[in-house]
Amino acid sequence: MIRAANVKSSNPAVAARSCREGVGPDTPLMLLAFCGGKHDPDAVLAALTAEFGPVPIYGGSAAGVIGRDSFGYGGFEMGIVGFYDPSVVPQAVMTEALLGGVRAAGHALGQAVGGIASPDAAVMLLFDSVASRAPPRLHFASSVVEGFHDGFGTTPLQLFGGGLLTDMNLTGGWVFAGRRVLKHAAIALVFPPGIEVETVIMHGCRPISSFMEITRIDGADVFELDDQPALGVIERMLGLPLGQTRGQDLSLEVTLGQKQGDRYTPYHEGDYVNRLILRANAEAGSVTLFEPDFALGTVVQIMSRDNSLMLDSVRRGVAAMNGAVAGEDNLLALYIDCAGRASARSGAPVEEAELVAQGLDPSIPLLGFYSGVEVAPVGGGISRSLDWTGVLAVLRRRR
Amino acid sequence: MTRKPPEPNPLDRELAYYRRECNDLGARLLRLQEEQSQAFREARRSRTVAKLIREAHRLSDVCNLPDEIGQPMLEVVVDNALCDRAALLERIGPDGSARFRVTHVIGMGGEAWQGQVVLPAAPSFFFTTSRTQLEPPAYELTSILRTPYVLWAFDPLSGVALILGNHSEGNVTRPFETRDQELVEGALSVYLDVRARKAAEVELRAAKAVAEESGAARARFLATLSHELRTPLNSIIGFSEIMAPGSTIPTTAEQRGTYIAQINESGRMLLDLIDNILDYASLENAAPSLRREWVASDSLFNAALGEAGSLALRQGVTLDAPEIGRGCELFVDRLRFRQILGNLLGNAVKFTPPEGRVRLGFAVQPDGGAQVSVADTGIGIEATDIARVLQPFQQASNGHRRRFPGTGLGLPIAKNLVEAHGARFVLESTPGQGTTVTVHLPPDAVRLQQDTLAVRRAAATNPASGD
Repeated sequence: MIRAANVKSSNPAVAARSCREGVGPDTPLMLLAFCGGKHDPDAVLAALTAEFGPVPIYGGSAAGVIGRDSFGYGGFEMGIVGFYDPSVVPQAVMTEALLGGVRAAGHALGQAVGGIASPDAAVMLLFDSVASRAPPRLHFASSVVEGFHDGFGTTPLQLFGGGLLTDMNLTGGWVFAGRRVLKHAAIALVFPPGIEVETVIMHGCRPISSFMEITRIDGADVFELDDQPALGVIERMLGLPLGQTRGQDLSLEVTLGQKQGDRYTPYHEGDYVNRLILRANAEAGSVTLFEPDFALGTVVQIMSRDNSLMLDSVRRGVAAMNGAVAGEDNLLALYIDCAGRASARSGAPVEEAELVAQGLDPSIPLLGFYSGVEVAPVGGGISRSLDWTGVLAVLRRRR
Repeated sequence: MTRKPPEPNPLDRELAYYRRECNDLGARLLRLQEEQSQAFREARRSRTVAKLIREAHRLSDVCNLPDEIGQPMLEVVVDNALCDRAALLERIGPDGSARFRVTHVIGMGGEAWQGQVVLPAAPSFFFTTSRTQLEPPAYELTSILRTPYVLWAFDPLSGVALILGNHSEGNVTRPFETRDQELVEGALSVYLDVRARKAAEVELRAAKAVAEESGAARARFLATLSHELRTPLNSIIGFSEIMAPGSTIPTTAEQRGTYIAQINESGRMLLDLIDNILDYASLENAAPSLRREWVASDSLFNAALGEAGSLALRQGVTLDAPEIGRGCELFVDRLRFRQILGNLLGNAVKFTPPEGRVRLGFAVQPDGGAQVSVADTGIGIEATDIARVLQPFQQASNGHRRRFPGTGLGLPIAKNLVEAHGARFVLESTPGQGTTVTVHLPPDAVRLQQDTLAVRRAAATNPASGD
């Protein structure tokens, strides 16, 4: 019904053949494919077509691929999911207009999905995260998601997904859109009414400061916290010489987190929306966040990325997922994992992706990819874009 | 009178205190966390070198040839070092040259790269950061993978270099630095080790195959030899026993004459066979023992044709030699070159069915050399068997051996003698159509006959007198 396979090879033809061997000889009705960013996307598309025939292929680049038995983020991974039964094949809707206006493109996509999705449909959202490499600029996921919700309306929806990257350095990204390779594009895979999705968000950040108010902000650029230059506040926390922080240094170390709901309740990891720092601007004393969804007056905390917390969160999350889907007609697990959580980047002593692969019910086919941003329902409510999280989603037959 | 400032609310003071403490403790926690992460990242990097070496060694098991190791090796490097691009290069030219050829490259994603690079000097280790001046060799090295940040190692002994490239300086965790020498040099040396090991393994396999083939050939030779020796010996013994004193088999004078002729022929066959074997055995040092002299080509060819003529007549094969070699002299060992021609013509006649043709050809080449060819319309040889029939004691197939008895030494002897003369031996064949053997003599082994030369000189100095 749904099968997954993943391999590592610099030769797309070899990789596609191995994946074919991994999922078996049947011809799928649709492929979901993710591949490392060092691959030539057109060559990958051609190789997959040569192996599987002219089936539509959706997905795109990934900073790495996670499978049941192996994972990697060197750039030559390939992972596929084959859909073999019409009752599980999603319908694809896409927009190529991210460059023209992210929110508007999200709105158009949401509107189009609204036209075909059943109530409470499971919808997977994928888009290339990087708008430009120099200067570094992202397709803001929060804008895509907000636009999507606006266009879609108020009907219940299970929206999950992620932003696609070619590597951990935010070099680029691209999307497989059926028979084409696209940039500045977003795809919504709308699953049939008989499919639902269970999601768990796994975190790993802990507040290390008191609450601070954003007192000056412009889009994703935060200039002041509690009337102090934001970069200086963060540098003091890190013990760094003031004004000397360069480039992406901070994105490895801290995030800004906004606590949802009552801010004085005891710490619970699921209560925070975290924003990674894209770059530091020494001249302006500001930091640029991955998303522009914080506003003047937003109360935030400086958050430390805590590796042991991250690993505990994964163990808890996987156990929670196993409990939630036990005895269900489970079809596929997708793990959308922030690239920053990989141990090469986070410095974690254990790869948290391995904990997912080893801990998740082995009867569920699993494929994951390292992403630039994650999207999932927060607190059982509306879906939001998330940073430095792992989103584990299990598709299953609706009861 | 001054007003005393109002006492701060104790709760506000307490709040400010806890905020300050919270931020200080948070900062300390953050730094500890970051130190721990950094330690794990560095520990991971150390493990990376070990993992890379372990994975690279496994390539020896999955690759068949030394040249096949380069690409998967780069995959291992990129996967472990988490760099954007990588390439292997080989020095072109003599030691000390700094001209390199890119032999393998990975991570270019369809982007073109330059096949060669010339460095002012090849450093054994080098890396670039944002502080590196874009001057030699940084300028040249960064052009190889078209990335501003590179890590380079070069082994002058083997002339092989490895380069890693990144688009961004702080790739994944941090810029290239001196500590990365262990990584890049470790990767290069393990590549060289694995490649050398594979080359030795390939050589060993080839030597084993040659030894096995040689053993098989020797066994085939012994079987053939045994057969070829026994047949005439049985004939000699059988007929001589019949005619021996005390024999109970009555014979007529006519029969005795026939038997003696048979014994004589069998003896000659044995002598030929033994001559051939001894001849082949002596060919190892044929070149020094050749007695080369200038010999008129037509006399060589006519003698060889005469010897092969009777065999051709018996086989019903037409021997054809139009206008061969007249006016030329060849610098050869007269006897040995006749032997070459005899073997080639004899072989051609032997493998050509009745009513077939064998043609001896000669042509002077534009470079001053000459080609001597023997072409037949015989059974021909499969392309896959050509190399084999040039080995001693071989025929194309067992079926051939049964139909065309012989030691299988004719062609190998001819080839060895040709090469001892400094000439080239080329065998071309099409099954069912025939075989052509061509001997390419170099220019220094060919000249116009002295009297021909005199005539030409005379004609050149007195053109009006020619008729």
